[in-house]
Amino acid sequence: MRQLIRSNTFRWATAVAVVFAIFMIAIFGFIYWKIDGYLISRSDRMIAQQLNFMAALPRDRRADAIADHLGQDSRGVQYAGLFDPAGNRLAGNLREVPHGFRIDGGAQAAKASRIGQSPSGDPLIRAVGRHLDNGDVLLLGRNVDETREISTVVGQALALGLLPTLCLCLLAGVWLSVRAQRRVEEVNERVQRIIAGDLSERLPDRKVDDPFSRLAAIVNGMLDEMEAMINALAGVGNDIAHDLRTPLTRARLSLERGRTHATTLEQLQVVTDKAIGGIDQSLAIITALLRLTEIENSRRSAGFGNVALHEILREVCDVYEPIAEDKSIELGVDIDRKLHVWGDRDLLFEAVANLVDNAIKFTPAGGKVGLELLRSDQETTVCVTDTGPGVGEQEREAVLRRFYRSDKMRNTPGVGLGLSLVTAIVKLHGFRLVIHPGSGGRIEVVCPDKANGPNLPPR
Amino acid sequence: MMKVLLIEDDAGTAEEILAELSELGFDVKWASNGIDGLDKARALDPDVLIVDRMLPGMDGLTIIEALRKEQVGTPVLVLSALGAVDDRVRGLRSGGDDYLTKPFAIVELIARIEALLRRPADSRGTSLRVGALELDLIERTARRGEREIDLLPREFRLLEYMMRRSDQLLTRAMLLEEVWSYKFVPATTNLVDVHMGRLRHKVDGPGEVQMIHNVRGSGFILRAQQ
Repeated sequence: MRQLIRSNTFRWATAVAVVFAIFMIAIFGFIYWKIDGYLISRSDRMIAQQLNFMAALPRDRRADAIADHLGQDSRGVQYAGLFDPAGNRLAGNLREVPHGFRIDGGAQAAKASRIGQSPSGDPLIRAVGRHLDNGDVLLLGRNVDETREISTVVGQALALGLLPTLCLCLLAGVWLSVRAQRRVEEVNERVQRIIAGDLSERLPDRKVDDPFSRLAAIVNGMLDEMEAMINALAGVGNDIAHDLRTPLTRARLSLERGRTHATTLEQLQVVTDKAIGGIDQSLAIITALLRLTEIENSRRSAGFGNVALHEILREVCDVYEPIAEDKSIELGVDIDRKLHVWGDRDLLFEAVANLVDNAIKFTPAGGKVGLELLRSDQETTVCVTDTGPGVGEQEREAVLRRFYRSDKMRNTPGVGLGLSLVTAIVKLHGFRLVIHPGSGGRIEVVCPDKANGPNLPPR
Repeated sequence: MMKVLLIEDDAGTAEEILAELSELGFDVKWASNGIDGLDKARALDPDVLIVDRMLPGMDGLTIIEALRKEQVGTPVLVLSALGAVDDRVRGLRSGGDDYLTKPFAIVELIARIEALLRRPADSRGTSLRVGALELDLIERTARRGEREIDLLPREFRLLEYMMRRSDQLLTRAMLLEEVWSYKFVPATTNLVDVHMGRLRHKVDGPGEVQMIHNVRGSGFILRAQQ
């Protein structure tokens, strides 16, 4: 209950109810004030007319007229009085001219004392008085207590309207806040489950277009992303463990065998060389992983400068030409013109070298590997093509995964991190890596003129 | 005898390095923390310093900076488990010193120390000569005795580097860094071997005494004599 009162929705509902009540009271007050004014002015006009009528009568008939006037008043609301110039009563039911009464023909409020009534119960009346032609004073009045009745009626109407409205407001507030609280509670329960490790849990989505559902949909989208990422990470962890264990196991086995069976120094050296080879392979994996992390976490652009891509392409070609020749692969470089990008020279060299390395590795003897530098409207593109098996549509995402090695290439040596490195470098520069599917590999590094990577060039 | 000061906090690593260097005839001293290391570097005046990057007491690079401020020009080999993409390391490298990432092969360490101790041959001459091998740096031509050697520019660059450091073990990593300015380990592991094979084929003709030697598991040496 305390939680309910403290809830925001409930507070707002209460505030709205209060504002609504103030508004209603103001309206009813206005209505009362207007009706009251109208009734009083009407009664004022009536008594003024009667006064004029009586004043116009002959002097001897006035007392009778007054008696008639009062006699017809069954409710006892009419007041009348005829006084001589000295103030003595000649006729009517008024005891005297009220104190301070202005005898000028204008309607005014006055305290009237009636004959046969104690002065304490004197009601407040509206009265008009005027001097007659012979100096007498004639007073006519009317009790306006009726207006009080009206106010009672208005008050009752107000109560009748206001109370249910207030209750309705509060009920709506309670309902809304309970509903909101239930949903928050539900979300909380599920989030607790997610925190506890159940990554497949999702927030309730009612498929309705309300803000709460939309928020749930957004959070669910985020959870999908995170689940995929965490699963991918777990996969990478397993892959790392596997890829590290394999060469270490080999090293351990040969060392163990050597320790038991080696009888000469030469035998022991052979065994040790094998073991060192295994350890080196594990170390190469660790080095590549660390380098990958280093590049991915690098937020600096300190090493950035104007990089001549055509020079990098020529250098890479220079380094790999003998390798390609040994495999009877033709390595060609086609440079449109001299093109520069903003970036880290060493890293871009590494990226291009890795792409060419891969292309040569996956191209069978007699094939071709091409390096092109292209320029379109707002982009500079480095394109590496080969006549190898290429990347299948279903493999396109997989090749970017860490440690991915195509089944066809199971036996090709390598760490399986080359493309991950290229991806990391490309991302750091705000460039794009495009892998074209189909037979014959084609990978492009697209460098937009306005690269919006984490390291914007200071232009 | 060449004096070497090793500043390294891991006793196991230090022990191996000390044993290996002493065997090779170096006079090696060891400091296990930064402050002691800086004191010893000042007191012993070694010919070369081997400094670990992360040390208790004082960071390895801080020691070097302190020494450089005192106009001590001793060549330094920095050892580190940290990556090399670091501005301070870039600066260090450009200063003629060297950087070796852990873990490393002991032959790699020795080769680097020898390289630091033996400054390359004077680079102001217009030609280089090792044994019968001659390199004309102006004409960009090479000959062995009377025989002209037709070299590609990349082969010329490699041979020039080797001739400046003849009779010195050059590891694959050193060649990659210095000749091809690689800042990373290439995916193709025999990259250097392929290039070296080409060069050797041209330098050591049939019937000639071998000059470029492959030291198994370590690297290459260009020797003037057998």
